[in-house]
Amino acid sequence: MTEVQALRAEGLGKRYGHIWGLRDCTFTIPAGSVVGLVGPNGAGKTTMLALTVGLLAPTEGHVEVFGEPSRAHTAGTLARVSYLAQDHPMYGSFTVADMLHLGASMNPAWDRPLAEQRVDTLGIPLKRKIKALSGGQQAQVALTMALAKRAPLMVLDEPVASLDPIARLDFMRDIMAAAADKAITVIIASHVISELERLCDWLLVLTEGRLQLAGPIDDLRAGHRLLTVPRQTADADLPGTVIARDDSDRHSTVLVAADPPPQHPQWVVEPVSFEQLVLAYLRRRSAPDLVPAQKAAIG
Amino acid sequence: MIWVTWRQHRTQAAACFAIICVVAVLAVTLGLWMRTAFSDDGLPACLARSGGADCQGKIAGFVHKFTSATQLISVPLLAIPGFLGAITGPLLLGRELEQGTWRMAWSQTVPRTRWLTTKLVLVTGGLVIFGAAISALVSWYQAPLDQVSTRLQLSTYVTGGLVFTCSLLCAFGIGVLTGLLLRNTIGAMVVAYISWEIVGTPGILLSGPLHIPGPATMRLPCRDGCPGASAGSVLPATGHFGDQVLSVTRSGAQLIVSYLPAGRFWTLQFIAGGLYLLVGAAAVACAVWLLHRRTT
Repeated sequence: MTEVQALRAEGLGKRYGHIWGLRDCTFTIPAGSVVGLVGPNGAGKTTMLALTVGLLAPTEGHVEVFGEPSRAHTAGTLARVSYLAQDHPMYGSFTVADMLHLGASMNPAWDRPLAEQRVDTLGIPLKRKIKALSGGQQAQVALTMALAKRAPLMVLDEPVASLDPIARLDFMRDIMAAAADKAITVIIASHVISELERLCDWLLVLTEGRLQLAGPIDDLRAGHRLLTVPRQTADADLPGTVIARDDSDRHSTVLVAADPPPQHPQWVVEPVSFEQLVLAYLRRRSAPDLVPAQKAAIG
Repeated sequence: MIWVTWRQHRTQAAACFAIICVVAVLAVTLGLWMRTAFSDDGLPACLARSGGADCQGKIAGFVHKFTSATQLISVPLLAIPGFLGAITGPLLLGRELEQGTWRMAWSQTVPRTRWLTTKLVLVTGGLVIFGAAISALVSWYQAPLDQVSTRLQLSTYVTGGLVFTCSLLCAFGIGVLTGLLLRNTIGAMVVAYISWEIVGTPGILLSGPLHIPGPATMRLPCRDGCPGASAGSVLPATGHFGDQVLSVTRSGAQLIVSYLPAGRFWTLQFIAGGLYLLVGAAAVACAVWLLHRRTT
């Protein structure tokens, strides 16, 4: 199989007025990856996803989906991405059947059996209006629409935020099944790190509009180590780049980016867990010239 | 896309259909009644014979009897273009932006230009059909009265020609723009309606009663010592029923009649309708441009 790039961003940036919501993002994601996008509120996750889908146009740089610039916004580009927006917006006065009808009439590749079967399996009544559904059911209908669009790239913005724990597991399982079954690429923005760990093989960490970390999770974990060192050890004496440091009375726990793994008789060197890695980068302070980003919106 | 547009606007479509039905029932009832009365009074024969000069009493009776009845229909219709247009316009973009559904709508496999074009074309088409139907009904029932009075008075002028549909489209266009600017459906509706009134009222006055093309004048020799020529007469001083007399002044042995000739009706309709369409189209063009600029 040739290496196809599902997503390629180069110097991607979006400015709202005087404030940069996203800046200088460069990364490449191979097709078939399941990508976790992590960041605090206002870090620019929604902006990045909206740029990927082509709902927003970048202020600088560009983003390509399967080799085509996203902002072209043609039917061909749109067919390649299915998008589940934050808060899963849908027409409240439509019934579930109406929403599926909308999906069918606006998407040539619409998978009608899949949509109907999924809604049926979830026990969501077709005749009920969207506004009469619970938040979880609404999220499920929105996901059904994203799945039935049959796009090779699926972009999900906080899809599980309104779901209870059981529904979350089922929801994530459905996404995984779709990803494995149809070999599609998935990007999921989420706060739930533990769920991303089970799901994703690729990671993007975003804070304050800047990309902190991007890469395959296995490579990222191989390239980082958790060291326990004597407290007086200076950062400069440690190998690689210090990402996070936690000092206790006599020892310090330090997360370093270093390849190959460091060795020292006085240090305890351990592999890092996914969660430790993500949290370390989320806590890492950005360059001081950056200001918090705004939420994505038109203008 | 056609289905989606229909599904989103079917409530307004149903409301429009209901309005047409109500107006049709009233118009047919009134129209038939008027036609019967018109021929029972022998007015067609009188008009053919003497242009109405020798049956002025009957004509006055007919006009008196039916003017207020027709206004019961046409006066409420005056506000319909503003209301309907200002309600429909903000639903097109404003509600999508307010509720965030644009993110869902524009990430389906329909480019947003086509999405917007389809909606604009279909909704405009629906409004044109509605406006044409109402105007046709008004013109139909009004026909007998038009033979013995002027169509250039406000209520018939606005509802019985092109102006009705054009002002409806104007309100709709303004609503599309205010929806985009305010992103608040109700607020956009209110602002659109007020803007429509501001644009429309002077527009109507200037094209109709205030007569941009300038009134025509006619000099008449005084008959019977000029005791205020048209007093007690239903026939306008010009001697022609469709004319709208604006003023009659006496100058020596002559009367100077300033009036709008009946034949100006369609000219004035085209001018007023054109102005309305221009404002509406400018608002839509502005909305499309803003949308394009904000999202690309």
